[in-house]
Amino acid sequence: MTVKTALGNRLTPAVEASNVRKAFGGVVALDGANFSAACGEVHALVGENGAGKSTLIKIIGGRLHADAGEVRIAGRKVSLSGPDAAHRLGAWTVFQELTLLPWMTVAENLFLGREVRNSLGLIARGRLFSKAEQVLADVGIFHIDPRALVEDISLAERQLIEIVRAITQNPQILLLDEPTSSLVERETVWLFEQIRRLCKNGTSVVFTSHRWNEIRTIADRITVFRNGKDVGTFTELGEEEAVTLMTGTRVDVFFPPLPHTPQSVPALSVRELSGTRIKNVSFDLYKGEVLGMGGLAGHGHREVFFSLFGAEPHSAQQIEISGKPVRIRNPRGAVRCGIALVPEDRKTEGLLLPLSVRNNLTLTILRQISRFGLVRAKEERRLAQTLMERLKIRARDLFVPVGELSGGNQQKVLLGRWLLAASDVLLLYDVTRGVDVATKHEIYELVLGLAREGHGILFYSSDAEELAHLCHRVLVMREGRVAAVLSQPGITAEQIVAAAMREQVAV
Amino acid sequence: MFARLLQSAEARRILYAYIAALVLFIIGNIVRPGFLSPASVESVLLIASFVGLVAAGQTFVILIGGIDLSVPWVLNAAAILLATSSLGENARTTQAFLITLGMGALVGLANGVGIAFLGVPAVVMTLAANGIMEGLTLGLSGGMTCESCASYAPPLVQALTHSKFLGIPSALWLWLAITIVVSIALSATRFGRHTYAIGTNARASFLAGVNVTATTVILYILSGIFSALAGIMLVSFGGQAALGMGDPYLFQSIAAVVIGGVYILGGRGHYIGSVAGAICLVTLISVLLALNMPEYGRNIIYGVIILLLLLFYGREEEES
Amino acid sequence: MEQTALAQPFRRSAATHALGQNIGLILVCILLVASIVAYCGIYYAAQQRFPGGFEITSTVNNTMPLVLAALAQTVVVLTRGLDLSVGGMMDLSNAIAAVTLSASLGSMVFWSMAILALGALLGFLNGVLVAIGRLQPILVTLATLSIFQGLAIRVLPQPGGAVPEAYTAALVSTKAPYALLYVIAFGVLWSAFRRTRLGVSILAIGNDAQAARAHGIDPTRTRIAAYTLSGMLASAAGLFLAANATAGDATTGNGYTLSSIVAVVLGGVSLFGGRGSAIGAMLGAFVSSMIVNILFFSHIDPLYQAFYEGLFLVLAVVLAEAVGRLVRKAG
Repeated sequence: MTVKTALGNRLTPAVEASNVRKAFGGVVALDGANFSAACGEVHALVGENGAGKSTLIKIIGGRLHADAGEVRIAGRKVSLSGPDAAHRLGAWTVFQELTLLPWMTVAENLFLGREVRNSLGLIARGRLFSKAEQVLADVGIFHIDPRALVEDISLAERQLIEIVRAITQNPQILLLDEPTSSLVERETVWLFEQIRRLCKNGTSVVFTSHRWNEIRTIADRITVFRNGKDVGTFTELGEEEAVTLMTGTRVDVFFPPLPHTPQSVPALSVRELSGTRIKNVSFDLYKGEVLGMGGLAGHGHREVFFSLFGAEPHSAQQIEISGKPVRIRNPRGAVRCGIALVPEDRKTEGLLLPLSVRNNLTLTILRQISRFGLVRAKEERRLAQTLMERLKIRARDLFVPVGELSGGNQQKVLLGRWLLAASDVLLLYDVTRGVDVATKHEIYELVLGLAREGHGILFYSSDAEELAHLCHRVLVMREGRVAAVLSQPGITAEQIVAAAMREQVAV
Repeated sequence: MFARLLQSAEARRILYAYIAALVLFIIGNIVRPGFLSPASVESVLLIASFVGLVAAGQTFVILIGGIDLSVPWVLNAAAILLATSSLGENARTTQAFLITLGMGALVGLANGVGIAFLGVPAVVMTLAANGIMEGLTLGLSGGMTCESCASYAPPLVQALTHSKFLGIPSALWLWLAITIVVSIALSATRFGRHTYAIGTNARASFLAGVNVTATTVILYILSGIFSALAGIMLVSFGGQAALGMGDPYLFQSIAAVVIGGVYILGGRGHYIGSVAGAICLVTLISVLLALNMPEYGRNIIYGVIILLLLLFYGREEEES
Repeated sequence: MEQTALAQPFRRSAATHALGQNIGLILVCILLVASIVAYCGIYYAAQQRFPGGFEITSTVNNTMPLVLAALAQTVVVLTRGLDLSVGGMMDLSNAIAAVTLSASLGSMVFWSMAILALGALLGFLNGVLVAIGRLQPILVTLATLSIFQGLAIRVLPQPGGAVPEAYTAALVSTKAPYALLYVIAFGVLWSAFRRTRLGVSILAIGNDAQAARAHGIDPTRTRIAAYTLSGMLASAAGLFLAANATAGDATTGNGYTLSSIVAVVLGGVSLFGGRGSAIGAMLGAFVSSMIVNILFFSHIDPLYQAFYEGLFLVLAVVLAEAVGRLVRKAG
């Protein structure tokens, strides 16, 4: 990790927060937090989910108002009425929730509010498109068509545009909330190049992340948050130290060990699975195995998962579950055959946020706890409470709307729903994304526990380290096909990434 | 459990709706003494029960974020169909009922299929269905000039509709029974859970293994059946069918459901609230009639009061 | 500076994009042409000649109120709302026009302006209730529909009043389909409006109000402006209704609410907001008219008219959806 001068080239911090407090109803998100970032520095905010990092970013970015405390930009105290007030002061934010307009073109989105206009004051579309083309080329993006509708481009491309929109505003302060969550390795490298370029010109970049290797690469300083307060700012910080600071406890081993070996009976057998973006994917998933899936995003993982679950059209020569051939036409059928899917986006595809934890947990297995169509409340309660104990979710949260829980707990509820379904095969798609470190650990234990019980687990992760440590084998996908199969012992993240990128244009 | 129930915003909205109904009754009594007499209350509730029947179907579809604009002419068609298929004879009662309710179910099925399988927006599909039913009804009955069109509902049914049991009209008992059944369906069954899940997030429900299309179709079938049932009740009560008798029930059913606290975009609310909403609405109209207000005045005040009711507790959450 | 190249560039032509992104507009044009051809064919079969100036003019004139109602509805639908009070607004302006317009130019101009201003005011009311009152549009406009209808009946309890000939001639000339000039003018104005700040804002909040706010667009102000504009257009529709009927009636506007929604849907405007063109909606209005004409001249029992209209609506939407899906998949 590079040791850079912590203050950059000016003494006044670009942005400062003092004693900031913010509560949502009864939940305290920030409890007298202090923060300061210098000009030209890259400053990372780390902490568990709910520690306050996102809230701080939203306050500095004008999305939220602090209940108490001061925010100073370039030394002057500010009171931001909204994101555009922050923009006027040069503070631009790239949020986790994308703010692009789906039915407008990329160019229109890039320049919304500052479009190219003709002499009549009307937007000149032709010139708008060429200007967008130019701007994208200036930052090294050539593969996104400015004339395309945002609706028609991929999630990663949308994140790139969101980032481009912010960096082309010549920001004094650039705030990024989990910017790389939808990006792959190469795009992350691009982002870091842009960040370095901005910092050279004096921009202060503040970002939150859960990915330690990224933080190590790019951050000049790291501030750790816990329970709404900053607990330290460092120029160098080891991962274990950080976890200790974030959780306040010592976490001995980061990845639980893989003691058991899988059985030799396949839980899931796939032959020649094809669909949009995937071709002739074949593999066996053994009972008790954690089979990882790696590779660059957009190379077919999502399609494999959703196809096996019946949520995407596909064709296959043969799919067998525990030896029985099956045809899966929709998720209902998949559940009946013994497959479960924990999808990528828990907030929009997985959980029903306004509904209670209980209702979310039991939704899939209602038939089993109903008689003549009526739900048996006592049995349901018993099942839910037992499960919540196992998942370490507070018992009194049973009737709380699941949208009020932290990201980590939400993910646990989603996993819990599928635990109740007791499926032979579990398809877990990026289940640790946006989840704090402590909960990640709990999820790892859960996954390995399920494997030990004899379930077959297909595990996709955008984090190659996770795959290397958690899986018995790893399938690397490339261009919609299985490019490599790596086996323990000795899988490394580098191997996975290398297999994913072979035959790509050299960077 | 009750304490927790009352804490929820949903339950509070339903409570307010009942309070509003009560307040309107009291205002009615002030404006025209005798409004709160048993006979007067009974007649208001009776009329409210017709709205309530349609509102049951409307509640079902609004809970999944849909709407049923085919109410007017399914109702009208049902009224005419009951009369013409029974020809005023008791012997044909059963088959007349089956045909009429079957028609309602069929229209609901068409609506559901169009919306769930063909992806037609609910507004468009049910609007089209309404037009189709209007055309079929007018065309097949020759504009109500056909021979059998002047028939009445079977005397048996008429008598039943007008009868009383324990001093309370049978129609109200029917409404009570339906309220209980619908409420249980929504609160305590798997079907109800699925309905609320779909109304909250259809995609997530689909990925959780819920049969979204089947549930959607069933809900629209139920709506069609309830509209037809309302038509049967109306023609049995009033004697003869008339053209356009279903028109007022569209907006009234939607207003009743919304006043009852059901969220127009789905996922929240309960039929118990729609019942209160129906009562509120009919009471309001009765009070306005009691004031001998001319039609234009009734329209204006009706609209203003709906707005006030909505402003009071129908507001969206603050965008944080 | 060494840049990381992310992927190979790939560009579709501007024409391909225009095609894919305006598929709704293209479909309604095809529908319109098809329905005109069908109409001409059926007319010929019935009357042994093609429709002449009289038929064209009267069709155009009869469609003008719907054209404007569709325009009004589009503005609101683009913000992801629905305006059920369009019919009521038309009733009201129809009634006032019949009662106040006299043959003098001054009177016609003054009262037209006044009625448009009233429409804008009432639309403003709708907008405030939706944007600041935070009520759902379908419910607000349901209530205001009732209010506007009541006001209309108060102004003109019985059909009557008179609209001066000159007024009729100016709006819906009976000599030739000059009213089409209004349509073209509105089309041009829409294209320009689409490129103004307000136009873009309206589309933006229909896409995603939260996201639009992050761009500095004020959803509240934009919504209020949209409903105000819609109100003004709806009362203009009422003026055309009065001009066409040459007399006043406080209830003929009622059917236009749902008809305007049909026209908007036919025109390819999404009921979910954020995309579509008012030009499509205006063409959709003409398609609706053509269907009525086709039914009339095919000697279909007029009692069945609603049946065919309903059937057509469903088929048109299902077809459009299917075609749209194919195009997006191919692209």
